[in-house]
Amino acid sequence: MKEEVKKEILDGLKQARGIMERMDPAEFEELKKLSDHTIEEVAAQKDLDLIAVTVLLYSFYKVASTIKEADRKALIKELNGAIYSMENRQLGQYNSRIRNMFKLVKQSHSKVKEHLQDVMQAARIKKGTVLLEKGLSIGQAAGLMGLSNWDLQEYAGKSVSIHNHEELVEVKHRLKTAENIFNLKHG
Amino acid sequence: MDKKKVLFFDAGPVISLVMSRLHWLLPLLKKKFGGRFYITPGVKTELVDRPLSIHRFAFEALQVQKLISEGVLEVYPKVPWNKVHQLFLLANHSFFIHDKDIDVLQEGEMESIACARETKAAGMVMDERTLRLFIENPSSLGHLLEHRFQATVTTNTKNVQGFSQQLQGIPIIRSVELVSLAYQMGLLDDYIPPQKNGREILLDAVLWTVKTSGCAVTEEEVEDLKGLLLKKKTLKE
Repeated sequence: MKEEVKKEILDGLKQARGIMERMDPAEFEELKKLSDHTIEEVAAQKDLDLIAVTVLLYSFYKVASTIKEADRKALIKELNGAIYSMENRQLGQYNSRIRNMFKLVKQSHSKVKEHLQDVMQAARIKKGTVLLEKGLSIGQAAGLMGLSNWDLQEYAGKSVSIHNHEELVEVKHRLKTAENIFNLKHG
Repeated sequence: MDKKKVLFFDAGPVISLVMSRLHWLLPLLKKKFGGRFYITPGVKTELVDRPLSIHRFAFEALQVQKLISEGVLEVYPKVPWNKVHQLFLLANHSFFIHDKDIDVLQEGEMESIACARETKAAGMVMDERTLRLFIENPSSLGHLLEHRFQATVTTNTKNVQGFSQQLQGIPIIRSVELVSLAYQMGLLDDYIPPQKNGREILLDAVLWTVKTSGCAVTEEEVEDLKGLLLKKKTLKE
C-alpha cells in the first residue's frame, strides 16, 4: 500500500473516531465532508481500500444520529483496532476490523444497504484486479469474482502494472497486419 | 467461406471502443473492410446481456445492442464447441505452481479464437493480454506468471505448443490498431485541433483513451504507434 494512501486512510479514520467519540450533532456533517475529501483522493489514487473507507465514512454519516449507544461503543472499539492495525501494517487485521464496522453499520441502519453493496462490489473488483496483475485473463478474473468484463476492463485500463508486459510482436508489424486485413495502402 | 471477408471480435475491443466513445468507427471500418464483423454468442452475452443488468454499464450494453441490430456486428452461430473445450483444457493445463495447474483462461474466451480458426478468418481483434501472449509468446506468459506469483512456474511444453500452434496463423490486432486505421482513413480528422501539432494532440488523445479503456497496449507501444502514424500520410492527404 502506498504511503499516501495509508496516510489518507489513517487521517480519515482518526477524524471519524473523534467525531464518533464526541457525538456532537453539529459535527455529523463533517463525516460527509470527510468522505467527500477521501473520494477526491480515490480519484487520484484509484485505490480500493480508499474506496472502502470512503463508503464507510459516508455510512457513519448516515447512521450517526440514530446509532444505539452499544453499537457506537463497538464502532469506536473497531475504529481503534483498525487504526492500530494500519499503523502497524497488519493488513489482515485491518481488513477484519473494516468488515466488522460494516456489519455494525448495517445493523444500525437499514438504509445503508445500498452503500454496503457498493463496498462488496469494490472488494470484488479489488480481488479481480489482483488476479489480473497475477497474469490471469480478464474473463477468468471477472468470472472468479462474479464480475462482468466491463467492471474489470475499466480498472485494468487504468492500472500501470497490469499492462506493463512484454509484447513479442512489434507495434509496427501489428499495424501492418491491420493495414493488410483492411487492404489499406501503407502511407 | 472467403478468408478475407470475416473478422472476429473478442469482447475486449468492443468494450474499449464503447468506453472510449469511438464505437461509431465500427460501421465505417466495416465498410472499408468489405466483409463481416462477427462476435460469438458468449461474447454477445458479455457485451449485452450481462451488462444490461448492471446500472453502470446498461447504456453501454444498449450501444452494443444497436451495433448488432444494425448489422454492424453479427452473432456467429456455428461455434465449434469441441474445439473450444479442447483449447480450454490445453490452456489451463499448461502452467503449474507447486504441481497445481493455473487456470489462466476462461472457456468463453476460447470461442472467438476457435471460430476464427475454423472459418480461416482474416483476423481476430483481441485486446486481452493473457490470451494474446499465450498465442504469440507463451514463454513470455510463463515468465509473467512466475514473476507475478513470485513462485517457480513449471510449463507443460507439449500443451503450450499444442495450444499456440493451433492458433498461430491467425493474425491478431487490437482496438488500438483499429483506431490507428481510422486515423489513417481520415475518419478522425474533424477532431484535429487548429494548431501546429494538432495531429499529434489528436493521436495522443485517441490512443490514450483506448489504452485507459482497457486495451492491453504498453505506454511504449503508444509512443511508437504515434510516431509511426505521424510519419504516414492519411488517405485524405
